[in-house]
Amino acid sequence: MAETAKEISKPLPEITPVNQPFWDGARAGKLMMQKCADCGTWVFCPRPVCGDCSSATLNWLQLSGKGKIFSFTVIREVVGHALRGFAPDIPYVTAWIDLDEGPRFCSNIIGCPVDKVKIDMDVQVVFEDGGNGVTLPKFKPR
Amino acid sequence: MSITRKTAVVGIGETPTDRLGGKPGEPRKSTAEYLAWAARLAMEDAGLTKKDFDGQGLAAIYTTNHSQPFWPEEVAAILGITPAVSLAGGNGGASSVSLLGHAAAAITAGLCDLVLVIAAAAPFSEHGGHRGATADTRDYEMPFGVMGPNCKISFVMSRYMHESGMTEEHFGKIAVTGRYHASLNPNAYLRKPITIEDYKKSRLISDPIRLLDCVLPANGGKAYIMTSAERAKSMRKPPVYLLGWGECNNASVGPRYRANPLITGITQAGKRAFEMSGVSHKDIRCLNLYDDYIPIVMIQIEDLGFCGRNDKGFFEKTDFTFKGDLPIQTSGGMINCGQPSTTGGMLHVIETVRQIRGEAGARQVPNIKFGISTGVGAVNYGKNFGCTAAAILGNEA
Ligand SMILES: [Zn+2]
Repeated sequence: MAETAKEISKPLPEITPVNQPFWDGARAGKLMMQKCADCGTWVFCPRPVCGDCSSATLNWLQLSGKGKIFSFTVIREVVGHALRGFAPDIPYVTAWIDLDEGPRFCSNIIGCPVDKVKIDMDVQVVFEDGGNGVTLPKFKPR
Repeated sequence: MSITRKTAVVGIGETPTDRLGGKPGEPRKSTAEYLAWAARLAMEDAGLTKKDFDGQGLAAIYTTNHSQPFWPEEVAAILGITPAVSLAGGNGGASSVSLLGHAAAAITAGLCDLVLVIAAAAPFSEHGGHRGATADTRDYEMPFGVMGPNCKISFVMSRYMHESGMTEEHFGKIAVTGRYHASLNPNAYLRKPITIEDYKKSRLISDPIRLLDCVLPANGGKAYIMTSAERAKSMRKPPVYLLGWGECNNASVGPRYRANPLITGITQAGKRAFEMSGVSHKDIRCLNLYDDYIPIVMIQIEDLGFCGRNDKGFFEKTDFTFKGDLPIQTSGGMINCGQPSTTGGMLHVIETVRQIRGEAGARQVPNIKFGISTGVGAVNYGKNFGCTAAAILGNEA
């Protein structure tokens, strides 16, 4: 029996001891990232130690969820078996969002026609159910 | 102890590339066959046989289709070689250029006298290979539908256009130049010349990346052989010496959490290669740059210092063809010759060797002594390439 698009699941993150506070935060409606207690730099993606000073004292802080689109693309084709669950969503926008506090985050721009998305657009986090108990932080224009 | 002028490339081997096995009923070749074929071609070119490599060096490059942890040993078993030094290329598309330096270091240190650097992949003919992803990609890109490099380099290209004002005309010119060179290269896969209009009309894959911006996945195998500068003098073909080499991995220009993706590690790798070689930019007559995508070729020209940042005027006025001001992508690049996974980047080493030997036929750059090849691999989260390498080759030690 041929599988229908609806049955094909999308890949989800692997929750590890290092990244768990991020995903717990998302489920609680908070965008959480690490900040080094010793040198003050932001650290993302989640790491066991600071990439700048090697400190293992990284504090999880909540960000405002506000940022600007640094760059984006409109996905028009599926590439690779693992990602075929996204076929029904095409065309959709993935973007690099530069958050007001500093870190760059890769996500989707939703709630906006794909041809209206622009670099430097102001965006705000929204939390979307990704299935299997995972909440995905996505962004919409503000 | 420097590796400059201590070693030379003395053999090159390149199988034809194909896309067989993509459709049911098509004949298929395995990765092992492409490996054996590429090794035989490189050994014939150098005037060596398999037995010459026992007790010497073997460098096998990991591909996305074969990432099992003992891959270099599997390659040795396929070729029937018993190396004394086993090097491995784990830098993705940068591996072929990275290994020029690693092999030169092993030879210069006296660990071995010959190194066979080899890679092959058959993504269309062999299925079920394991495709790995970094934890960052698995956790923070794939759940958002990031379609691999197409998507990530689209972020880079989109921002590049925003900051530089480059348009389809600029990218199209590079695409047309590459295809023109491919039309003169009997080993190329796509050989029908194109126009800028063809580029503009090619379909959008991941805006602003179009089909004619993208590398062409293919089956195939490639190899090159290095030896000491001393031994190279008595080999069959004119030696092509490694004059300068540099690598840079995990580069971040700016904060790690918000790096500038328009300046890659090629800036540092290239600087190291130029400093080691003592060769000046004006003497480099051929640039064979890793071309997974057209904008990446242009960013590397900037990174290497052949023009300024966002230098639209330079890209407009420069003739990049093989008889022009600054010949680039003289083979046609992987975009036209095909990319058998991370094997593909070796094209740029092989082409520079061919040009310097004077074996490039209808696309031969006149009066060439020095050329540069680059490799890049892995697109890191929120920035650009993780692995980068550059090598300057020349006909005099
Ligand atoms: Zn720190």
